Amino acid sequence: MPDRPTAAELAQAVREFLEAEAVPAAIDPRLRFRLLVAANALSILERDLDLGDELLREEIALLRPLAGAPPPGTPREQALGLSAELSRRIRRGDVPRGALQALRRIAELKLRVASPRYLERG
Amino acid sequence: MTEAVQAALGAHLEELFGAGTRVVRAALLGGGASMEAWAVDAETPRGPLSLLLRRAAGGRIYRDALSLAQEFRVLQAAWEVGVLVPRPYYHFPDVAGREAFLMERLPGEAVGRRIVQKPELSEARAALPSQMAEQLARIHAIDPTRLEFLPGSREEAPLQRSLDALEAQLDAASEPHPAIELGLLRLRRDLPRDGRRSVCHGDFRIGNLLVGAAGLTGVLDWEFAHVGDPREDLAWPLVRAWRFGKEQLRLGGIAQPGAFLDRYAELTGSRISLEELGIFELLGNVRWAVGALTQARRHLSGEERSVELAVLGRLAAEVEHEVLALLGKGGA
Repeated sequence: MPDRPTAAELAQAVREFLEAEAVPAAIDPRLRFRLLVAANALSILERDLDLGDELLREEIALLRPLAGAPPPGTPREQALGLSAELSRRIRRGDVPRGALQALRRIAELKLRVASPRYLERG
Repeated sequence: MTEAVQAALGAHLEELFGAGTRVVRAALLGGGASMEAWAVDAETPRGPLSLLLRRAAGGRIYRDALSLAQEFRVLQAAWEVGVLVPRPYYHFPDVAGREAFLMERLPGEAVGRRIVQKPELSEARAALPSQMAEQLARIHAIDPTRLEFLPGSREEAPLQRSLDALEAQLDAASEPHPAIELGLLRLRRDLPRDGRRSVCHGDFRIGNLLVGAAGLTGVLDWEFAHVGDPREDLAWPLVRAWRFGKEQLRLGGIAQPGAFLDRYAELTGSRISLEELGIFELLGNVRWAVGALTQARRHLSGEERSVELAVLGRLAAEVEHEVLALLGKGGA
């Protein structure tokens, strides 16, 4: 569906509402904290909608040399299949060359969605 | 429910603190699906008392946590050897239908982000490294034969067993995480086998310590106490997730770890270098990575629906990143 707001724009609208109106109105500190967590969850969703497909393709490309051909399926299923195969190999002590570097790169990709500020804090 | 708890407590408190004792206030502070915390104010013949009631919430308890009765016994043992803990009063099999125990309610700040940031806690932050070491020295001197119900008590090699448990938990999360596997593989290779055996707190870090203007006022959250290697407890407050945004200060976002380890060595005769702690810091990070995934599963499985738990499934990427950074430092 091409209609706007897009999915990411809707998530953004709800997040902005939480941040601008709900959080300042919350008196109970526990509720306030949970509202902030909920706003953060929406920001993760926004970035996943914007970047998710591209990052998934990159993850598959990084995993292929370490875990062989991906199983058939959606990009998400392929990434999961490759990741599971690499996990099995590592568990039995067979660490493919370059695994640490590739996994660091993949962790950075995940953080671009989950927690971009974590990378900046270094 | 407040009335029911207040009434049930009233009868118990008269027995504990004397005739005429009455509950002035009982307020639910919060808690998850497995545990509640109640602030209780009581008038007793000897004066007012600030109390805290930890009570089962009816939901499923974390598999690896102690029962309330066990946690209470650990608290008593810690209190008796002079660990700064809230004074434990009584364990009740039944307060309005559920198990609970009562302890002193101590003043202080427990929220990690405030402890590392608040200007008025700067003196506390200067005092904390030594104070934390003093408490750990006392905890590690508790006689484990008094607490034989603790996990690890009967294990020949509790550290190796804890790796098996982490692997099983990771499998139960049923989502592949090769970065965590790489961490586990290194731990299998490098974690020492001859670890000393002490009573460990199991969750000793900023966020579980009460802090006042002059520093530490109480060590809280004993439900992960176990018998293990004291270096687990020394490395846990170094784990990056417990630095609350002050990444450069490796001891809980408040200081570099030097003074903490020096004081621990002075008190126990056991000098542990940062280098020696490295593998335990990796263990802590792997443990928290698996812990975060496990908590997210509590939400996903419907066991405890919560946006906080849900988000942990994604934030686990931060811990994976740290696991890989530590592996990189140690040589691939």
